[in-house]
Amino acid sequence: MNVVVCVKQIPDPAAPQALDPQTHNLVREGKLILDDSDSYGVEMALQLAEQAGGGEVTIVSMAPNGETSGLRTALAMGAAKAILISDEALRGSDALSTAKVLAKAIERVSPDLVLAATESTDGYTGTTPVQVAELLGLPSITFAKKVSIAGGKVTVERQTEAGYDEVECPLPAVVTVTAGVVEPRYPSFKGIMAAKSKPVDQLTVADLGLEGQVGSAGARQAITDVADADTRQSGEIVVDEGDAHERVVQFLEQLKLV
Amino acid sequence: MDFLETDEQAMLRAAVAAVAGKYGHPYYLEKARSGGKTTELWDELGGAGYLGVSVPEAYGGGGMGITELGIVAEELAAAGCPLLLLVVSPAICATVITAFGTEAQRLRWLPRFATGELTMAFAITEPDAGSNSHNLSLTARKDGDVYRLSGTKTFISGCDEAEAALVVTRTGVDPDTGRGQLSLFVVDLDSPRLDKTVIPIEIVAPEKQFTLFFDDVEVPGDRLLGTEGDGLRQVFLGLNPERIISAAMAAGLGRYALAKAAAYAKDREVWGTPIGRHQGISHPLAKAKIDCELARLMYQKAAWAHDTGQDPFTTGEAANMAKFAAADAALAALDQAIQTHGGNGLATDYGLATLWGAARLMRTAPVSREMILNFVAQHSLGLPKSY
Repeated sequence: MNVVVCVKQIPDPAAPQALDPQTHNLVREGKLILDDSDSYGVEMALQLAEQAGGGEVTIVSMAPNGETSGLRTALAMGAAKAILISDEALRGSDALSTAKVLAKAIERVSPDLVLAATESTDGYTGTTPVQVAELLGLPSITFAKKVSIAGGKVTVERQTEAGYDEVECPLPAVVTVTAGVVEPRYPSFKGIMAAKSKPVDQLTVADLGLEGQVGSAGARQAITDVADADTRQSGEIVVDEGDAHERVVQFLEQLKLV
Repeated sequence: MDFLETDEQAMLRAAVAAVAGKYGHPYYLEKARSGGKTTELWDELGGAGYLGVSVPEAYGGGGMGITELGIVAEELAAAGCPLLLLVVSPAICATVITAFGTEAQRLRWLPRFATGELTMAFAITEPDAGSNSHNLSLTARKDGDVYRLSGTKTFISGCDEAEAALVVTRTGVDPDTGRGQLSLFVVDLDSPRLDKTVIPIEIVAPEKQFTLFFDDVEVPGDRLLGTEGDGLRQVFLGLNPERIISAAMAAGLGRYALAKAAAYAKDREVWGTPIGRHQGISHPLAKAKIDCELARLMYQKAAWAHDTGQDPFTTGEAANMAKFAAADAALAALDQAIQTHGGNGLATDYGLATLWGAARLMRTAPVSREMILNFVAQHSLGLPKSY
């Protein structure tokens, strides 16, 4: 059971963030960390590989400046190896560019299963995993809150607004997992020390044969403007003149809550 | 000179902070108030190998040093969980056993230090000897294959949760100097004729303090650590890590207090502006931050000196100075955090005054600030010996 987990290394959400005034992209020059939402996928992958009694978990990530800090965290948790795609030519990549890069890298591993978070904590497009699936020609299941593998099939409890659907599909497949799917482990000290010597394969755009198709060269979208969100309007104060209950009911009806 | 942590150290710090943060000060407080123990937290830290970072790899440990154990201690305290037994069990006992135990003794105890499964108390202080370890009177007398221990130890932490204690005893007298010859024994705390009495203490902590009465306690010969009569040298090696890990814990407590104070001072508005804008609030906190950071640097230097085997004076001086500076800095930071919170500073929910006893303890133990000043005056400045 070989599993690939797509992870994003992001600026520490606890630290102050900035947008590039020209490109309006998030400044990602400093140290990056493993997106917390990806730790669930890593944990899920480790558990599935353990349950299957063998196989490897490979981490795939695209990041600027050869950044590996977040990958080391995933390796410390127990992943066997990582593939990092880092290239100046990837600057300005949109979600589809990112998906092309990840898909090409994943092809090299031919995994039984690809896991990803439903969306990243810094970008929130939530489109990359399904684009990866499409590019790889694999079925995809999103919003998994439970994942199990048996008989060459993956069975997923897929979170919906009303509850969950049970969905199954043949492997290989791409599955996105929610933050509740499993409880991520803390890397043990032995894991932390071992992470240093685990292989991280560093690839460029040329290695993947994607020159001119990704980064700002291949981008199909651009951020034209960024505006501050409207400040929240102050609420309406209802002074009870004997009719407050009607006004409250009206308000709730407006919100279709009653 | 390099002040950057390695990736591994940074990851260890983040991991311990995450585990400790899951429990936090309310957990610690609940255990302390209810008479419970921090077993769940201890076990989780032990299971991940964080309590055994300084135990050699050959015995199942992390193979790193007191620097890494300092990271563990600091992060725990920074989350409001200053686990006292960290100072005693892995810092002193495991270090001393690693250095001076026979191979059989190492194999017997170190693998369980590595997992945190074994906690060991450390018994040196006596009612009449105080800080004067030459004057210890608890005797160990050889009787065939066993030793018989008689005497009293006091202010021994955690004897209700530790499995054994590393006990400093007198086995003879040096004929030239008249000073006691010391020997170390690992004594099971459930030994017959060993009485443990709780000392009521005004510190809110899950760890309790005990007086131990040894009434001719029989200890097997293989519990003598290393060589008989070599105890003073053995103990001294353990006392540096004790001071360093105490300092790390104090530095963590300082961070805990200042983080709370800064958050409160940013949020709390009186007369339409956050109180942290007033220099009467911000400057004392800034000074406390500076003192805590300086203390951190000194404990990190001391840990480096210990781990890299610098000469005993370099290590001892740094360890003592770190302990002195960190204890004072932590207490000042906590005091200023309480002051910043106004009346809330003493409210249980704010989790500050509850740590007062633990922070105050660090000025007294494991070595009093006066003894450190004596050491620095005499050994660093060459002033006449005071005692």
